[in-house]
Amino acid sequence: MAELRNYAAPRSLAEALQVLASGPATVLAGGTDLMPQSRSARVRFAPTLLNIQGVAELRGVRRRDGAVEIGALTTIATLRDDPAVRNGAPVLWQACDHFASDQIRNAATIGGNICNASPAGDTLVPLLVLDASVVLASGGAAGIHERRLPLSEFLTGPGRTARRPEELLVEVRIPVPASGWVDRYVKFGTRPALDISTIALALGGTLFDGRLENARLALGAVAPTAIRAHDAERVLAEGPLDRARIDRVVDAADAAIHPISDVRASDWYRRELVHNLLRRILTDVCPN
Amino acid sequence: MSALIEIEFRLNGISRRVTVPLQMSALEMLRDMMGQHGTKYGCGEGECGACTISVDHRTVNSCLKFAVDCNGRDIQTIEGLAATPFGENLNRAMVEHGAVQCGFCTPGIMMQAQQVLTDNPDASPAQIQRGLEGNLCRCTGYRKILDAIEAVAHPSPAGD
Amino acid sequence: MAPTPREEAFADSLIGRRVPKLDAPDKASGRTRYLHDINVPGQLHAKILRSTEVHARIVSIDVEAARRVPGVHAVITAADVPWQRPIGITKDHMPLKADVVRSRRDEIAAVAADTVEAAEEALRLIRVAYEPLPILTNSAQALGPGAPLLHGEDLRVPGRNGALEVVHKACSDNVSMAYEYGHGDVTQGERESAVVVEDVFWLHYVTHCCMGVSGVIAEFDASGNLLLYSNTQVPFLHKREFAELLGIDPGRIRIIQPPIGGGFGSKLDIYPFEPIAIFLAKMTRRPVKLLFTREEEFIASPTRQPVLLKLRSGCDREGRLTFRAVDTIHDNGAYTSWGATTPFVMMQTISSLYRVPHCHYRTRAVYTNNPYAGSFRGYGNLQATFAVEAHMDKLADALGMDALEFRLLNAQDPGESTPQGMHFRSCGFKECLGTAAERSDYEAKRRGNLEHWNDGNPIKRGIGMASMLHVGGGAKMYPSDGCGTIIKLDDFAKVTLITGASEIGQGSETVLALLVCEELGLPIDSVTVVNNDTAITPWDVGVHASRTTFIGGNSAIGAARKAKRKILETAAPKAGRTPDDLDLRGGHIVLKATGERIQEIGRFLRSLHFSEKAELVMTTYYYEPPSVHLDRNYKGDVSAAYAWATQVAEVEVDTDTGIVRLLKITAAHDVGRVLNRLGIEGQIEGGIVMGQGYALSEDLLVEDGMIRNPNFRDYKLVTAPEIPEMDVSFIETMDGEGPQGAKGVGEAPAICIAAAVANAIYNATGTRIYALPFTPEKVYRALRGANMPPKWPEDAA
Repeated sequence: MAELRNYAAPRSLAEALQVLASGPATVLAGGTDLMPQSRSARVRFAPTLLNIQGVAELRGVRRRDGAVEIGALTTIATLRDDPAVRNGAPVLWQACDHFASDQIRNAATIGGNICNASPAGDTLVPLLVLDASVVLASGGAAGIHERRLPLSEFLTGPGRTARRPEELLVEVRIPVPASGWVDRYVKFGTRPALDISTIALALGGTLFDGRLENARLALGAVAPTAIRAHDAERVLAEGPLDRARIDRVVDAADAAIHPISDVRASDWYRRELVHNLLRRILTDVCPN
Repeated sequence: MSALIEIEFRLNGISRRVTVPLQMSALEMLRDMMGQHGTKYGCGEGECGACTISVDHRTVNSCLKFAVDCNGRDIQTIEGLAATPFGENLNRAMVEHGAVQCGFCTPGIMMQAQQVLTDNPDASPAQIQRGLEGNLCRCTGYRKILDAIEAVAHPSPAGD
Repeated sequence: MAPTPREEAFADSLIGRRVPKLDAPDKASGRTRYLHDINVPGQLHAKILRSTEVHARIVSIDVEAARRVPGVHAVITAADVPWQRPIGITKDHMPLKADVVRSRRDEIAAVAADTVEAAEEALRLIRVAYEPLPILTNSAQALGPGAPLLHGEDLRVPGRNGALEVVHKACSDNVSMAYEYGHGDVTQGERESAVVVEDVFWLHYVTHCCMGVSGVIAEFDASGNLLLYSNTQVPFLHKREFAELLGIDPGRIRIIQPPIGGGFGSKLDIYPFEPIAIFLAKMTRRPVKLLFTREEEFIASPTRQPVLLKLRSGCDREGRLTFRAVDTIHDNGAYTSWGATTPFVMMQTISSLYRVPHCHYRTRAVYTNNPYAGSFRGYGNLQATFAVEAHMDKLADALGMDALEFRLLNAQDPGESTPQGMHFRSCGFKECLGTAAERSDYEAKRRGNLEHWNDGNPIKRGIGMASMLHVGGGAKMYPSDGCGTIIKLDDFAKVTLITGASEIGQGSETVLALLVCEELGLPIDSVTVVNNDTAITPWDVGVHASRTTFIGGNSAIGAARKAKRKILETAAPKAGRTPDDLDLRGGHIVLKATGERIQEIGRFLRSLHFSEKAELVMTTYYYEPPSVHLDRNYKGDVSAAYAWATQVAEVEVDTDTGIVRLLKITAAHDVGRVLNRLGIEGQIEGGIVMGQGYALSEDLLVEDGMIRNPNFRDYKLVTAPEIPEMDVSFIETMDGEGPQGAKGVGEAPAICIAAAVANAIYNATGTRIYALPFTPEKVYRALRGANMPPKWPEDAA
């Protein structure tokens, strides 16, 4: 990696943004991805290491204005232990439960998992289903500017996001789902956790009269970013979830994905898993 | 050589001040500069748990932590845990249940076991199993490690 | 009823008790100093530059810039050590490569520097120009017509007198080692068969993954004596080999083995990093420490031997085996290490696990540009058992015979001598079969599962059985298979047990101490074990072949009995008794018949020491097992005892994903006798889970000579939540030669799992998979008919 030459450990958001405004910086949150990347020479870094761990205001889960607001520095362990997450967004809770190991959950942050923008990032699939958006801040002592982006627009490619160099991801907002909301999450793997996702699926919607309304379907590790399968969602919205519709949803999801072959799986197998596991959760969510 | 940063933190209850390179991991600092050899290098990527330490009462992989980020924190290593009554109790259980073979993973498992039982003193066998998912052991097959931790969580009245 | 004095006196027997490992308290408190934790004053840190090519001619190496890095003391290439000599069991492997690299791990240069960082910086500045050569990516290709020869020229190095001598002869067919064994006449056997099956199996790459990475510290003193801190499992053999490599007297080499972070067979050979550290220490006149990174550990450690295996088996109408014919091609990798000798073990399973009247076995270990294979717990037996036990199920099913009954009909009995010359003085095989089957309800479950093959539920259950035979009393591969012991007792009846037997985490120090205490009637905490310094300990051939409890144990017992005899013979006249009247129990000299205490042992030892005779009790013993070398036809009773086991696996197969979950292992092991129950359970459980990894999750992906997953992220060891329920039974056959009746068991538990799981997957799904591992995609492909079953190469006939 490029040599890290400077170090900043601000105590407030304004100070942190000031550092970002003054020149390119590598942001250190939990460090669980950054440290191995820094050793592997595969990722290029800015010369200033900006440690935001001291910015207390970026931590914690709040419920406000019909949304769950999660500070970017909130660890995966905190999310996993939070009753609001467990009850209000079970798909996100499950993803946190399947996330790496206790030691990594204790360090890794939701902001870091989003900004790392891995196609297999564990929190991304449930966050997409929950229609989450991210809040990006910039500025400094003279004033803080915020902008909000849907997560689906924030993720632009493997390891790439819409974050500008002077911006910091400060918050994730999840609108509280309407009553009657059901969701399902599946991360394929032989272990309960400590596994890079081979594929992950999440499905959510309001179950009404045998149909899944306002359905959202997201898939991980089958495209350059975690994605929503909009065509499949449209098929879901069109009518009751019978066997024929499940077939069409699966076909639409298949058309939406572009899996690769790597050490974890072949593209063919990833497609097979998407078909079979999607079928399984669709049957499970509406068992007739 | 990358920049040097002076940091201060508590290590096993003692205040320490040390100057570390910016890219150094907490694992390297603890082993190479603080003599904490009980914390082991196993993979350097957070996959094996041999380097598990406790930072502000949460276990982390010290190989994934920047040493500079230890500034102001309260850090416990196996050397610290071993000197506590809880650590002695856990040590006894691990020894008596045959949970130690080559022993290389054991300090990390001790640290993580403390975390599991602190979070949930009444942890179920399944919760203990999940709690150890980030610690690899190549010798024991885990059964005796789990037995030892379960025995600390639920001591049998007869003393087993 | 109150115990009689005699019962009381014998109540303190340690045999079969749960004795905690003596070194466990230190290990669990982080106090144990492994090699990684040892820093010698003045030490330098070494790093190795490895090839980026799989097979290439080295055109040039430029180390000038590397030498200028501040803190760098030495940068060496083969040109700097023209006197280096080859390593490996056929001496085909130069530590530093001069002209040609043959695998991605090959060592080209090495640096010794003040810090690891300086050494790494220097490595980055070394420029190597390569001229790529055609590569051999699998063993079939290496045997094909026109294949490039990997060791096609004589390897010559300067001899003692300076003249070049050939140390490894040109290999004209890429076959590094070949074996052929036979008894009876397989053609006749085939004629007598009612059923014949033939299949090709592929056994994949896995590696040891010791939690402590490899390393060494090398240091010369001012007189040129070499001190090595080493993780070796065979210190005395390596002492001699290092002496040969350096051209010095073996007496000038001392090896200290700090506690080791796992062995499993990985440290039976010398690997290039060890001579390289020695070269650097010699050149810099400083202690040199070399430690691998985990990635290096994956790339530059040995693997288990990958094997392509063709098996043809038959039985008659009554279910008696008629013949077995095996041909295997071992992927040797670029150099020859112990992996090439696994046929010694494989052919035992082929010829003698069951009674086989006609048998033929052939192996060729073939050079490729892949990682090279070493020894690994089980030593070829996992591979052989996988094939043999698949055929036991297939033959039974073809006959319509119960699979357990079929095995019982063909299983060995005690007293039997096999055509290969193995003599089974103790043999609990049939008890193992019966116990494992009964405790797992094998027969009922096996029948019941078949009913669910087509029931529409994607989740299937299966049960499968496999058994194994393995050496349990050493294996006579060297001129001696022995072990020495020195015992001294101090004035307070504390024992120092100095043994040649190495400890690699398996608990040898505890079981040896237990055996000594049993003889001397002393508590376990009265023993200090010294087992890790060739300057102190007596000779031992090494820790391998499940031999340490058996050989080291018999040696320790021998020394302890001599000490006991000395005590009793000296004490008897004073007590007005004969030595045979007396015994040692509960820390006392006692009357054997009644247990009545005569004198505390420590008190007796002091009175002996400070008497006019002024004597100490110190004894030595060397135990050599009554085994023999295999003859030229691979026949002979190579071990003093043989271990048996049956394991039953129960699995759940998700046919929508290919995920196979191992639910339960029911294991029955003929261990001779349980000595330390805690220790033996730990060996069995650990071995089962290692076998689980081999079957289900571990897969070292080698493509075009490159390892694609050199990390724990994608090389998947079993983790705590994945382990099966384990039901372990011990069959105690009280082996006549074994220490207190025990047999070796270290490797046994890992051997059957993959074979049992394969049979269980078949029982669950009706699909038999011939290639390991059973990772989800491979299983899924097999279930969908989308896999490529292993094929025997046409032109490798």
